[in-house]
Amino acid sequence: MTTLIRLILRRERLIAPVWMLLLAVLAAGQANRYATAIPSIGDFAREMAANKALTAFAGEVYSPTVAGMAVWKNADAIYTVIALIAILMVVRHTRAEEESGRAELVGAGVVGRLAPLTAALTVTAAAVSLAGLLAGLSMAAMGFDLAGSLAFGAAITAMGLVFTGVGALAAQLTVGARTAVGLAALVLGVSYLLRFVADGSGLTALKWLSPQGWSHLVKPYGDDNWAALLPGLALTAVTVAAAYRLAGRRDVGHGVIPERPGPAGSTTLRGPLALAWRLQRGLLAGWTVGYAIAGLALGALALSIPEVSRQGAAVQEFLARYTAGDGVSMTDAYLWLIALSLGYVAALYPLLALLRLRGEEAAGRAELLLATPVGRLRWAGSHLVFALGGSVVILTAAGLGIGLATGDPLGVLPGTLVQVPAVWVPAGVGVLAFGLLPRAAAGISWATFLFVNLFGEVLGPIMGIDYWIAKYVVPFPNLPMVLSGEEFTPGPVAVMLALTLALVAGGLAALRRRALL
Amino acid sequence: MNTAISIRELHKSFGRAHALDGLDLEVRTGEVHGFLGPNGAGKSTTIRILLGLMRADSGTAVLLGGDPWKDAAELHRRLAYVPGDVNLWPSLTGGEVIDLLGRLRGGLDPARRAELMDRFELDPRKKAKTYSKGNRQKVALVAAFASDADLLILDEPTSGLDPLMEAVFQQCVLEEKRRGRTVLLSSHILSEVEALCDRVSIIRAGRTVESGTLPELRHLTMTKITATLSGALPDLPWAHGTAVENGKVTFQVDDQDLDKVMRRLAEAGITSLVSTPPSLEDLFMRHYADRSAR
Repeated sequence: MTTLIRLILRRERLIAPVWMLLLAVLAAGQANRYATAIPSIGDFAREMAANKALTAFAGEVYSPTVAGMAVWKNADAIYTVIALIAILMVVRHTRAEEESGRAELVGAGVVGRLAPLTAALTVTAAAVSLAGLLAGLSMAAMGFDLAGSLAFGAAITAMGLVFTGVGALAAQLTVGARTAVGLAALVLGVSYLLRFVADGSGLTALKWLSPQGWSHLVKPYGDDNWAALLPGLALTAVTVAAAYRLAGRRDVGHGVIPERPGPAGSTTLRGPLALAWRLQRGLLAGWTVGYAIAGLALGALALSIPEVSRQGAAVQEFLARYTAGDGVSMTDAYLWLIALSLGYVAALYPLLALLRLRGEEAAGRAELLLATPVGRLRWAGSHLVFALGGSVVILTAAGLGIGLATGDPLGVLPGTLVQVPAVWVPAGVGVLAFGLLPRAAAGISWATFLFVNLFGEVLGPIMGIDYWIAKYVVPFPNLPMVLSGEEFTPGPVAVMLALTLALVAGGLAALRRRALL
Repeated sequence: MNTAISIRELHKSFGRAHALDGLDLEVRTGEVHGFLGPNGAGKSTTIRILLGLMRADSGTAVLLGGDPWKDAAELHRRLAYVPGDVNLWPSLTGGEVIDLLGRLRGGLDPARRAELMDRFELDPRKKAKTYSKGNRQKVALVAAFASDADLLILDEPTSGLDPLMEAVFQQCVLEEKRRGRTVLLSSHILSEVEALCDRVSIIRAGRTVESGTLPELRHLTMTKITATLSGALPDLPWAHGTAVENGKVTFQVDDQDLDKVMRRLAEAGITSLVSTPPSLEDLFMRHYADRSAR
């Protein structure tokens, strides 16, 4: 057992410290920024609490203090990130090991059949606990209330523990690691949406149905309500117990959801494009459905956005960021914010779709395909079509969803579709990474996504970089705000398309010249 | 054209490691050519260069009259490849993979496909992720044998097959040969090489150390003689590793010296004599084992 734990620690020794520190910096950095940059935290808190749109995205304001507002701003992102990390980590050391066959190697050694699960759970639980403690202590070290800081840390840890359990259970249910991650991420998505709708609609009791809601309800620096952690701990206990029960009863390498026999042959798998469709359609369908639902939910909230006083500095900043010109309604500002946010998150889709190429190469399946008359460009192009075209599809689904909810089906579509070129630029970086540095492609893709998402809103301010610098570093702030008072101008879009084209061309040229690894 | 593969002085290094160090290989059209060597000798690297997945640092490689890197897609119409470590798309069934690979290579004969599926006892309805290693290899083999390719490149294709399936595999290769197809077979299974290959090339540390028909290669090694003599042991300057035990003398001798040795032994009076021709094992062991000698 200790050997297994040591093996996992060995494999995590580089990544785990990085994300633990990142989360602590996200928490403490935001507090530091508010402490230095905001003259009257009370006024700021009142303004923020009055802004329904921001309440939906960040949650309710529970404590009008510097620490409380820092938690309000970043806690939701931290809870989501730690849940994702817990899922990926626990699946990586359970189902992914079985899928690769490495688990058989271990299982043939002198370890019990439940030992790998125990080892993965132990290390993941320890990691999320340590991460929560680190974030809490770094807040306390800045002089904030110790009880509140520890409550915040516990809220982070609780979220991590819940999804450690969910991930472990999903890993027992499916045969493929990717399916397991997808299943657990679906639970996370539902949890996020419930919390979002609860805060956005004012039906705050709904938060009790969402793990993310539980962590919000701890209300760090406010009530420090530790009792809100209990449902999370209970759910963790239930999912872990279920995972053990399943792990004890099934065969190594098999899942609980059985594999059904499929067709004995195929007349539709005619070429690389048809194969890419088979490999990409699940991912695309998931994102499309998810984006349509998110669009409907976010659109429904838009109707309940009230007009607020525009006097406060924070509201002025909000309007300056998300509207162009005077007389734009808060609803329109909010709609643009939704479209933009969906665009930011959508940047992940083409990167994930493109990483399938690298996955095909690393697994040796590309070798099988490229030993046929299929050339490299045709192979890469067949996946690129879905990465780039799929971005259009999911943003269309989101735009139609918001439109249906707001009663003007096609009205919001231009706002989500204008995000497409900004989504494509990071995809271009992904293609270039795949062509030039295939072994680092996954890391570069994720880093690009995090950078684009965190730079303007989170990382930039923490590093003391003005929001408006973000314009020169990430594409999204350059888009014409077609939903909130700006005319469509082709300039920025053309620049992004040209940049995408250059990056893709560079990546493909590099792919043609390099060896397949 | 009577040369399917012609490689001269091929070099390839990965950082400081020389995977190929002046490799030569010639495969004639219509023959089954055994491609042998210890693990890490450079067999798979050579095959990856032939498939255009990788470019050599220097030297020439001609595949079916073309350049394996530049004319890759064109050449691949005429060849079928079975990797040593077959990885299939987990969500596709075996039947779907066979049809996909077949269609990419320009179509496959449905009757031949059904016949091969039957002979290899493959269930085409199972998802690839549930196949064992042997079954994944069978999928790739059926796709390759059912195709219309001139050249089959098989990289340790039977490492996961049971003996029955191994026999089916050997039959299939012989049928392919009868149809005039060329086969490059990388293998560690000596009985398979002996049964199938017209010629073999043995490589070690990225170089070709031996190439020819099996009888030719056998000729290069020594015959082992065990004899009991009625008289005294004569002087045998051609004998290697002479040992006497319980009145029996054992030594090895080059075939060219066999005649001279026999005369001397006959003069000394032979009571019993066993002459063992070099086995394939001996042949390979000699090449595989003195890795450290370099």
